Amino acid sequence: MTTIPISWYLAVAAALFTIGAVTVFVKRNAIVMLLGIEVMLNAANLTAVTFSSYFRELGGQILVFFVMVVAAAEAAVGLAIIVLLFRHRETLNVDEAQLLKL
Amino acid sequence: MESLGITYRVIGPELVLTVTGVLVMLLEAFSPGKKVRDGILAAAGVVLAGVAALALWDEGPVMAFSQMVIADGLRVFFTLVIVLGTLLTILVSWSFLDEERIPPGEYFALLLFGTVGMTLLVASNDLMMLFLALETITIATYVLAGYRREDLRSTESALKYFLLGAFSSAFLLYGIVLIYGATRTTNLAEMARIMSGPLEEAEIVLLMAGVAMLLIGFGFKVTTVPFHVWTPDVYEGAPTPVTAFLSTAPKAAGFAAFLRVFSLTFAPLGIESAADQLASHWVSAVTAMSILSMTFGNFVAIVQTNIKRMLAYSSIAHAGYVLIGVLARDWAAVAFYMLVYTLMNLGGFAIVALWARRGDKWVLIADYAGLGFRQPLLSFPLAIFLVSLAGFPGTAGFVAKFWLFKSAWGAGFQELVLIGVLNTVVSVYYYLYVVIVMFFREPKEEVPRIPLSRAFMTTMVVALVGVFYLGLLPTRVFAFLNAAQNLLAIGAR
Repeated sequence: MTTIPISWYLAVAAALFTIGAVTVFVKRNAIVMLLGIEVMLNAANLTAVTFSSYFRELGGQILVFFVMVVAAAEAAVGLAIIVLLFRHRETLNVDEAQLLKL
Repeated sequence: MESLGITYRVIGPELVLTVTGVLVMLLEAFSPGKKVRDGILAAAGVVLAGVAALALWDEGPVMAFSQMVIADGLRVFFTLVIVLGTLLTILVSWSFLDEERIPPGEYFALLLFGTVGMTLLVASNDLMMLFLALETITIATYVLAGYRREDLRSTESALKYFLLGAFSSAFLLYGIVLIYGATRTTNLAEMARIMSGPLEEAEIVLLMAGVAMLLIGFGFKVTTVPFHVWTPDVYEGAPTPVTAFLSTAPKAAGFAAFLRVFSLTFAPLGIESAADQLASHWVSAVTAMSILSMTFGNFVAIVQTNIKRMLAYSSIAHAGYVLIGVLARDWAAVAFYMLVYTLMNLGGFAIVALWARRGDKWVLIADYAGLGFRQPLLSFPLAIFLVSLAGFPGTAGFVAKFWLFKSAWGAGFQELVLIGVLNTVVSVYYYLYVVIVMFFREPKEEVPRIPLSRAFMTTMVVALVGVFYLGLLPTRVFAFLNAAQNLLAIGAR
């Protein structure tokens, strides 16, 4: 059985990261934007795990655990803010949040 | 204090702050609404953290927790700046909490947890630690920005801050991971060692990509153009005391981390090494960011009608000046600048917060018309802080800018210094415009008298004494910073 070269993992992660970033730029729904950010974080996680196993070094994998915790905390706060805005506005579209001019 | 090989002393300030934060939160749960008790407890915790930071001074540069945390001169000084910023923020929030009927316990607890993140960020000697500390700050401040829940502006600012903040964190993390891929470590000391030698071509590519991502992430956090878009909106929408906090303490912490990563770890060595290959690139990128921030910030600030937005753009411009210090790799000049900036900006925002009154309503520059001689205890300090922000001689703002520009000139960034000085001239226009409106414009309606609380007067005294002391007799602080610099020199490399 041939092993998959490391560059493939990195390419998948880079693609995921780009998809996440583009999602944040293109979509206007706050929850979908949050999803895009989560995809970006997980792309970084995948890269970290790839390097970690390639180097036979545990640092990268430990980083992933911390990132997962951070992502969960961030999602909790973020969803609370989104719910709050929904109560005011009855919409999740960030373009309608324009009281403060951009 | 050492057990299981863990040196708790090194994270003394963070331990104190965490314990105080948890205590304040618990007290609020069991007997809510006691502002004075919670506030004094929080302030005491912050002061104690400052003392704990000073106690690290005698240790010399030490690392602990598998070299994740470092105690050196840079950390001690920046921790003191952050402590000062948080302390003044507690004072600025004092009457605001009553007016807005905000539960004080959670507010102070969040402030303390944010401060823990900042002091940890300043102390982190590992990119992993740096990411965690940064997230601790941002998650606490997302909530603070949206603290006036019934106000749509506050909620919107929290949403924008959250989406862009989390977005930039993802870039920062990806950058960290790519750098890990290039150097096989996240530890900054180890990284500096590896980068002092040559790296393979593939590793250099990874490193460049990683550092670029890191720069984007940092750019967001310290509000530099072109990553500044969130700043004016968040600063305008957030409750004014929170804006005061956001524009000072987290920024100081962000610049400390910026210095540690770029000026100290990625510094060029003048030999054939990966660090030197990298340095030419990040130096030109940061130069561009600095010029853009100064110019854009100052010119857009001119056309603002809302004082909070004006100060937000001014804050972007100041970030541009500070980047010159980062390029000159003179951390002491940057540290002094952040100390001065914290004093004058918090002082200014204290007055803006008071004048905005309930619901943050009077925030237009036009609303300041006629304030001048009707309430001199508000108008004169505000004028002094604005003049200091503009960098007039005799105030701390001048000394800070002078030192920064002087060391950049010496380091060979003459063009940048010239642009900085020209920008300072531009900035005089919009700072003085507010002063002119205050003293020489007649108000449309009767100007109300605002009662001045003791907390407000304390803030004013601290900030004014600071601005004049550092402006006229800065030698003692300089000596302290020089000693701190020596302390760093022993630890670095």
